[in-house]
Amino acid sequence: MKKTVGSIVRHLVLAFLAVIWLVPILWLVVTSFSGYKGINTAHFFPETWSLNNYKALFFEPDSVVQYGAWFKNTLIIAIFTCIVSTSFVLMVSYTMSCLRFKGRKGLMSFGIILNMFPGVLSMIAVYFVMKSIGLTNSHLGMIIVYSAGAGLGYLITKGFMDTISTSLREAAWLEGASEATIFFKIIIPLSQPIIVYTIINSFLVPWGDFVLAKLMLNSGIATDWTIAIGLFNMLNKSLVNKYFSIFCAGGVIVSIPISALFVLMQKFYVEGVTGGSVKG
Amino acid sequence: MKNKKKLSGNYFKDFGTAVAKGDMGVKLSLLVMGAGYFARKQIINGLIMIALEIVFIMTCVFYAAPNLAKFGTLGTVQFEQVFDPLTMTSKVNDYDNSFLILLNSIIALFIIAVFILVYIGNIKAVYRLQVRKEAGKHINTFREDIRALFNEKFHITLLTLPCLGIILMNIIPILVLVAVAFTNYDQQHMPPSALFTWVGWKNFKQLFTNSTTVTFGYSFGKILIWTLEWALLATLTTFIGGILMAQFINNKKTKLPKLWRTLFMVAIAVPQFVTLLLVRNFFADSGIVNTICSNIGLTDFLKSIGLVNSNLTYIPFLTNPTWAKVMIVLINIWVGVPYQMLIATGVLMNIPVDQLESARIDGANSFQIFWKITMPYVLFITGPSLITDFVKNINNFNVIYLLTQDVYVTSDQLLANSNAKEVDLLVTWLFRLTNEYYNYKIASVIGILVFIICAAFTLITFTQTIKGNREEDFR
Repeated sequence: MKKTVGSIVRHLVLAFLAVIWLVPILWLVVTSFSGYKGINTAHFFPETWSLNNYKALFFEPDSVVQYGAWFKNTLIIAIFTCIVSTSFVLMVSYTMSCLRFKGRKGLMSFGIILNMFPGVLSMIAVYFVMKSIGLTNSHLGMIIVYSAGAGLGYLITKGFMDTISTSLREAAWLEGASEATIFFKIIIPLSQPIIVYTIINSFLVPWGDFVLAKLMLNSGIATDWTIAIGLFNMLNKSLVNKYFSIFCAGGVIVSIPISALFVLMQKFYVEGVTGGSVKG
Repeated sequence: MKNKKKLSGNYFKDFGTAVAKGDMGVKLSLLVMGAGYFARKQIINGLIMIALEIVFIMTCVFYAAPNLAKFGTLGTVQFEQVFDPLTMTSKVNDYDNSFLILLNSIIALFIIAVFILVYIGNIKAVYRLQVRKEAGKHINTFREDIRALFNEKFHITLLTLPCLGIILMNIIPILVLVAVAFTNYDQQHMPPSALFTWVGWKNFKQLFTNSTTVTFGYSFGKILIWTLEWALLATLTTFIGGILMAQFINNKKTKLPKLWRTLFMVAIAVPQFVTLLLVRNFFADSGIVNTICSNIGLTDFLKSIGLVNSNLTYIPFLTNPTWAKVMIVLINIWVGVPYQMLIATGVLMNIPVDQLESARIDGANSFQIFWKITMPYVLFITGPSLITDFVKNINNFNVIYLLTQDVYVTSDQLLANSNAKEVDLLVTWLFRLTNEYYNYKIASVIGILVFIICAAFTLITFTQTIKGNREEDFR
C-alpha cells in the first residue's frame, strides 16, 4: 500500500513539473493558431482558430515579415559557418592533441585565456573591423564573424581525441603514412561522434544567435535579416500588438528543424563528452 | 617563469649565433631576406622571402607609416564640410578619422611584430641550412619542403587559417578595445565628425568615482554584486536542479523515464530566444499570467500580504527590481535545468554499479547513497564544468537582455544617470552603453574588468587541466 502511494506521489510530482515546463510552449503553439493577430491577454486558448498566421508568414511578406528570406539567409549562413568552423575546430584540436611541437602548451593556454574575453565586448570592435572592410549587412560578413574564431573552441574535441590510442597512430607511422594521412584516415573517422556534435553545434549558432546579428545586420531592410532578428523585431513595442501571433507561428516553424538537430546533437554530446571523460 | 626567461634568452642567443657565425649568405639575409636560400640553391624559397620583404616594405610605406605617424594624437584635422553654392555640392576636407587611425595603427603594429618574428626565424633557418651544408647533410628541395608541411611541420599547415581567423576576430578587436579604454571615444567624440584622443587612466578613475553627475561608481558596484549573485544562483540552481531531476527520472520506481525526459526536452528544443521572448510576454504587466492571477485572486492576496504594492493592479513580474530578479532566476531554472538534466543523465548512467551495489548491501539507504556516492562522483566529473558555467553565466547576455530589454525601466535616478538598470549584468550594461549611448570608453573599461574577473575564475580550473599531464593518462 505504502509503495503505491509513493509511486502515485512520485508521478504526480513529475506530471506537475512537466506541466510547468510545457505551459509556455503550449501557449506558443496555441497562439500561433489564433485567429487574432496581437497578444491574447484575456484567455489562454484563442477564441477563434485559424491558419492565417502561418499563411502570413510564408505568403504575405510585408516590410516586417520576410520569413522566407530570413530562413534562406539563416540557412546559407549556417551551412557555411558549419563547414568553416568544423574544419577549424578539427584542425586545431588535432594539432593540440596529437602533434608535438615547440610552444604547444603556450598556445593552448593563450587560447584559453583569449576565449575568456567576453564575446559581447569584442563584438563592438568586430563590428568596426567588419565595417571598415565593408562586410556588414552581408552573408559573407556573418559567416566570417561566426566561424573565424571557431578555432578557440577546440577543448571538447581535443579532449575526445586525447582518448584515441597512440598505438594506432604509431602503427600508421611505421607503415609510412604522413601526418596528413593519419589525420584524414585515422583520427577523423575515429572522432565521428564528436565531429557530428561539432557540426550540429556550429550549424545551430546562426539560428540562435541574436546579439552579433543585431549588430552586424543593421541596414533596417527586413530581407537582410536572420530569423532571430526578424522575430525579435516583431516584438518591438509598436509592432507587438499586430504581429505577436505571427511571431508565435515563426517560433513554431523554426523550432521543428532545430529541435530535431538538437536531439541528435545531445545524443552525440553525451556519447562523446561523458564517454571520453569517464574513462579517466 | 624562470623557464620562460630561459626560453626567450635562448631565442635571442640563437639569433646572435646565427648572425655571428653565418657566412656571406646568412649575413646578406639580414638585408635581403632570401639571400641565404639562394646561396644554398633554394631558389623558390629565396624568391618567396624576397617577395615577402617587398610586400612588407610596401605595407610599411603606404599603410603603417601614415597611420602610425598620427597614432600619438589620433588625428588633428577636424572634419569640415563646405557647401559650394556654385556646383551645389558639399566639399569635405581631408579629415582624420580617429577610429580608423587607431584600428589601422594596431593592425600595422601587429604586422610589424609578426614580420620581426619571421625575420628572426628566417635568419635562423638560413643558418641552419649553412650548418647542414657544412656537415655534408642533405638540403631539402622545394618539393621536400612542401612535403614536410604535411608531415613534421603539419601543425603549421593546420594552424595557419584558424590562427588568422582568431587574429581577425579576437586578438585585433581585443587590442582595439583595450586601446579605446584609454581614449575619450564617446558620443561627443564620434568619428568621422569629431576626433577623439588619448586620456590615460581617466576612464578607469571615472568608473570608480561617485558624484552627483557621474554615478558610474555607484552603478558599477551595484551591477557587479548582482552579476556575481546571479552567476552563483544561476549556476547552482540549474546544476542541482538538473541532478535532482535526472536522479528522479532515472529512478527505477519511475515508470516511462523516456517519456518524461522527452517532455522536458520539448521545452528546450525551442530556440532560446523564442522561449525567452515568449516568456517575457507571458509575464508582461498586462499579460496572460497577470489576467489569470487577478481572476483567481492571487494579485489581491499578494497585495494583502504586502508583496505587491497596493496601488498596482497587476503583479510586476518583470518590472519591479526584486520581482524581476527572482523571476529571472526562476525563468533561468526553467531554461537551464533540462540541459543540466541531460548532461547529468549521461554522467549518472556511467556510475560504477558495483559501488552502488555494495553500499546497498551494507545497508545504506537511497538518501545516503545519493549524498555519499552519487554526488561526489557527479561532482568529480562535472566539477570543472561548474566553473565554466559560472563564467558563462557572468556573461549570460541572452537571458537578461531578452527578458528585460524594452520591458524593465529603472526608477533609480542614480542608475539611470549612468544608463544602467538594477537587473543588468555587466555585459548587458556594456552592450547598452555602446549600442544605445555610444559610450565606448566606459564600455571598454567595463569589458576589461569583466575579463579580469572571468580570467581569475577560469585560471583556477584550467591551470590544473593544462599543467597536469592528464591528457596522456587516457590513452
